[in-house]
Amino acid sequence: MPREFALLDALVPTLLLAFIAAAFGTLLLDRLFAWLGAYRLVWYPALFRLAIFGCLFAGLGLWIYQ
Amino acid sequence: MNLWLPVNRRRALLRMGWHLRVYALASARRIAQLAKPLLSMANTLGLSATLGAREWWRLDAPVIAYVFKVLLASVLAVWISLRLEFDQPRTALLTVAIVMQFRSGMVLTKSYYRLIGTIFGILASFFLVAMFAQERVLFLLCMTIWIGLCTAGSVIFRNHQSYAFVLAGYTLCIVGLPATLTPELTFNIGVTRLSEILVGLLCATVVSDLVFPQRMWNVTLQTVRRRYTDFCDLLRVSAREGVAHATLQAHMLRFIGDIFSLESFRASSGLETDESRGHRHRLRLLNNEFMEVSTTFHAFSRLLQRQQANSHTEVRESLLQLYQCLADAVTVQHRSAHTEQETLAIVQQLKAFRDDFDLRLQAARHRLPASLQTKDLLDFDTGAAYLLRLAEELYVYSRTYGALAKSSATPSAPDPLQAGELPAPLEMHFDPLAVGLAALRGGITLLILAGLWIFTDWRSGIEAITIGVITSTLFANSPSPNKTIRHFMAGAIIGTVLAYFSNFWWLTEAHDFWTLIIAISPGILLASWLGSRPASAFIGAGASVVYLLHIGFNTVFSANPVTFLNDAVADLLAILVSGTMYGLIDLSGSVWSRQRVSNALRQLVVAVCRDATPLRRARFEASARDLVQRSGSAQRVGEVQDQEVVKWLFSALEIGHAVIALREQLPHVSPEMARALQNAIQQIASLYEAPGKAAIARAATAVDQALTVAAPAAGYEMPTHVRHLLLTTLHFVHSTLLDEASVLAFSPTVFTRSGQELSHAT
Repeated sequence: MPREFALLDALVPTLLLAFIAAAFGTLLLDRLFAWLGAYRLVWYPALFRLAIFGCLFAGLGLWIYQ
Repeated sequence: MNLWLPVNRRRALLRMGWHLRVYALASARRIAQLAKPLLSMANTLGLSATLGAREWWRLDAPVIAYVFKVLLASVLAVWISLRLEFDQPRTALLTVAIVMQFRSGMVLTKSYYRLIGTIFGILASFFLVAMFAQERVLFLLCMTIWIGLCTAGSVIFRNHQSYAFVLAGYTLCIVGLPATLTPELTFNIGVTRLSEILVGLLCATVVSDLVFPQRMWNVTLQTVRRRYTDFCDLLRVSAREGVAHATLQAHMLRFIGDIFSLESFRASSGLETDESRGHRHRLRLLNNEFMEVSTTFHAFSRLLQRQQANSHTEVRESLLQLYQCLADAVTVQHRSAHTEQETLAIVQQLKAFRDDFDLRLQAARHRLPASLQTKDLLDFDTGAAYLLRLAEELYVYSRTYGALAKSSATPSAPDPLQAGELPAPLEMHFDPLAVGLAALRGGITLLILAGLWIFTDWRSGIEAITIGVITSTLFANSPSPNKTIRHFMAGAIIGTVLAYFSNFWWLTEAHDFWTLIIAISPGILLASWLGSRPASAFIGAGASVVYLLHIGFNTVFSANPVTFLNDAVADLLAILVSGTMYGLIDLSGSVWSRQRVSNALRQLVVAVCRDATPLRRARFEASARDLVQRSGSAQRVGEVQDQEVVKWLFSALEIGHAVIALREQLPHVSPEMARALQNAIQQIASLYEAPGKAAIARAATAVDQALTVAAPAAGYEMPTHVRHLLLTTLHFVHSTLLDEASVLAFSPTVFTRSGQELSHAT
């Protein structure tokens, strides 16, 4: 993966895209878990969500910088 | 040996012992007496200590937690910004301070809109710098237009959307203005500011969502519950002993405030993660239904008050009896319902009341003496019709509210009720001239400060413009901007003093990250504490904005006494200028603006009468209330002028609803009847166009004629329920028009086009 890409001729780190993608992914997963009622099994939903975001973002970041 | 003591000594000893025993007993009793109050005191102390602890836990602990949450988010933001080597870590700090709110949902929403506003502001700065980097006058003129547009947007929209416009406005100052000095760095400045703001937003949202989160749903539910209890209390009291007009009005105003604060909670709950997201539609529905039920209640109460003066005693008595039955139906365990579960019982009682209403009504009608005239019977029927409507709307409202209890048992299940129907959003209704003037005010403030910058070649001009733009956009839709800006000024002075100490006494001692934090934290703690109290919220805002704008470190210590003094003077000057502009172009406190609001309310009634497709009930209602809420009159009912506005609101609501009901019946009646109704509606429209005693008389005559045509004696065919509805509504309109206390009757002396009629009258 390239580490930077050109957005309207400005070099932007691909990590920013990863960040946005991870945010959207978290949002989708959040809706899904809420719909399934999975949050009733979770001790601290807010922390759980942050952790999901962390996993997604870190995963994408590792994939970009592998 | 001792046994053989002389008798007299033995006697003395015995006497002494007896004395001792008496003493001992007496002192024991004394001690017991002393101890009793002490014990009870200790008891009370213990009790009040637990009470105090509970109070502390409920009121003070969240504030302390909040203040430390702000500090934690700030520390995190500074650390990340320093770590990533941003130019100005204080932008991230400022973002944290601005975005942090008591409720997590509000932080999320505010961050979201702040992000949108910032992005648009940065795009605008790129555009302006690209176009006019060499031409400062053109640049500043275009900037004025942009600020004017943003101020207008912030006035038109509510809540956090309004905030996005403020941000779009002043981001231009913090990105665009520095960029004019070094146009080649514009892009870098923009991207860095965006990154700094993003870091601030992320820290604020993560901290407020993770550390002692305060969920929106709790406060929303509390508001809904309190509103329901208050309403039922008012209904029960008014059925028992009646309410005075002033009390009724005060309650209705509180309800209007509640409706709008609930709407703002609902708007903020969109990004919240708890139940409130699932209940958003239901909350909107609740608000709409509550508006209807409170209007009907007001109309019914006014009807009762009017009947007190000029109705038959028997009619009044039997109506009150019926009303008492409704009041009993909203009572559980001799009080109003406090929770949704109790409301479920009330729903059943209301259903029973509604089902039995016809029987009760027949019985009550039979009990009325036969000697009553048609007019008195009509009085009774009108009252009964409004009572039934009140009961039905209250039933619907209670059912929606009670359903919260059922659905909160399974929070994540989708709401079956809301799947199909989407309740109408709360309408926005604003005065274009007022918005235009607000935009003008923002623009002029900027022009004055920019002129000062250009002509004096003052190096703190950018600072002055930034603060001027912030203050002139941020408070544009506050109910009384003059007071707000005084608070902000006081806060700015506090912030300057704090920044002085922080920059030149404490920061000079700082030599690593943690000492840096210690040097800046007193200011953050004090400002956020001030900001957390509603009474001093704007003082806190002023303190934190000014303090964080001046805090003297970037990547290294950079405080400079000359710059600091210049900037401090610039801030205070800018606030003074925008305060003066708020005083000069006063949109909320002036007689003129109130007259415009009253006029707009009357125009709404005219529109209801004349428009080809009449407004929907909910829409009319929301527009009227929004007008009054925006004008800020609802928050300042103490003043006579504001009471005028509020009286017009209720007059417009009463007549407007009746007219809508009449117009709905138009297709179902005979041509003669339709003509009479049209005439009555036209006369009402002209009355609201130009109120006056003569117009009232004309409208009352037209309504009277329509009543005659609608009466069974006139012999026109129409369904019974339509006739009943027409008769009761027309009679209601008639009695409202002839009400001596109505604002329509007073209008010629207060609201004339000029002073002419006034001078004629005197």
